[in-house]
Amino acid sequence: MSQSSSLRISGSAMHAAGVLALVLSSFLALAQTPSLTARSIFKPAAVEYLYPEQVTLPAGKATKLALHFRIAPGLHINSHAPSEDELIPTTFSIPEDSGASLEGAVYPPGEEFTLPIDPSTKLSVYTGEFTIQASIKATTGDHLVEAKLRYQACDNNACMPPKTITVAIDVVGK
Amino acid sequence: MKRNTLVITAVLFILAIFAWAGWANWEYRKQAAERLQASVAQGELTPDPAGGAPQYLSPLQGKPAPEFTLEDLSGKKVSLSDYKGKALLINFWATWCGPCQIETPWLIELRNQYAARGFEIVGISEDDIDRDDAAKLSKEKREIAQFVHKMQVPYPVLIDGDTISKPYGGVDALPSSFFVDRSGTVVSAQMGLTSKDEIERNIKKALGMEK
Repeated sequence: MSQSSSLRISGSAMHAAGVLALVLSSFLALAQTPSLTARSIFKPAAVEYLYPEQVTLPAGKATKLALHFRIAPGLHINSHAPSEDELIPTTFSIPEDSGASLEGAVYPPGEEFTLPIDPSTKLSVYTGEFTIQASIKATTGDHLVEAKLRYQACDNNACMPPKTITVAIDVVGK
Repeated sequence: MKRNTLVITAVLFILAIFAWAGWANWEYRKQAAERLQASVAQGELTPDPAGGAPQYLSPLQGKPAPEFTLEDLSGKKVSLSDYKGKALLINFWATWCGPCQIETPWLIELRNQYAARGFEIVGISEDDIDRDDAAKLSKEKREIAQFVHKMQVPYPVLIDGDTISKPYGGVDALPSSFFVDRSGTVVSAQMGLTSKDEIERNIKKALGMEK
């Protein structure tokens, strides 16, 4: 067999392999779809952390950070100072041994809110976007801090159980 | 030629492994999703043909109410089977749930109105219970008891509802109510705050007074 015919065969072999790869990649992509079914069982989170994802702080010095969150449309969560004792306040925390500590937090004041069915009860809630001013102190180094936000969300007719979400922030102490 | 055959064989072999891995992954995910669906058995909201609020269609409707045994606030064990022969409203609620506070007085009135016909309510608290910490448990029970006292709830209130919420569809939203007829079959369910009239209609259904 000549060198050119060998190259021709090699070329068609590669072509066939390429087509096969395309077909099988499509199959592999399709193979992922049941995970979507599994995810769709769960409702989207009521609260989403927006930003910042990464911050650089002077090591050993408490620094103020504005942490931004968004609440899903149609829902409200209790403010940090709910109107009644039994209601669950929105609380931000940083677990111990994270490489960073929470020295203090200033929460926005709640908006006054009444359920349409009971205008006499005034609630203190957050809706839409809200910002927590957190004072954070970091040690030297790069820390992936998994802070927590605990909240309890409701709409006008029903409430969801309290939930704690992870607020991931890459904190660099320099 | 021999080299080409080797290349094609190797490529096909690698692709076959990928394909097998993809298929195995797909099967695994499919089975996991099916298991999850089966264990949660969630209901769904469907539009009311009469134009009213959306109706909660529970997969439990027409099926026997799932059995449970929970403690009341005094520590006494209470089971679904204790209510055999009665029409029962199983009401999931929590002290932190605003709409539940609006609904509870309606439930009390309706319970008192229909009790003589063989109707009862059992309240199931979804408040967190920490059984590993006696002091915390005592505090949590006290908070539930305070709420029950404040609202003057005349029917049994059971705690630790979270442990039985799965067979009742996960109870993702409060209040959630299940109406059980005298034979133990779920005849209707509600998720979220509806209206006193709607609750009464469902009580009548459980009592066999209305279809």
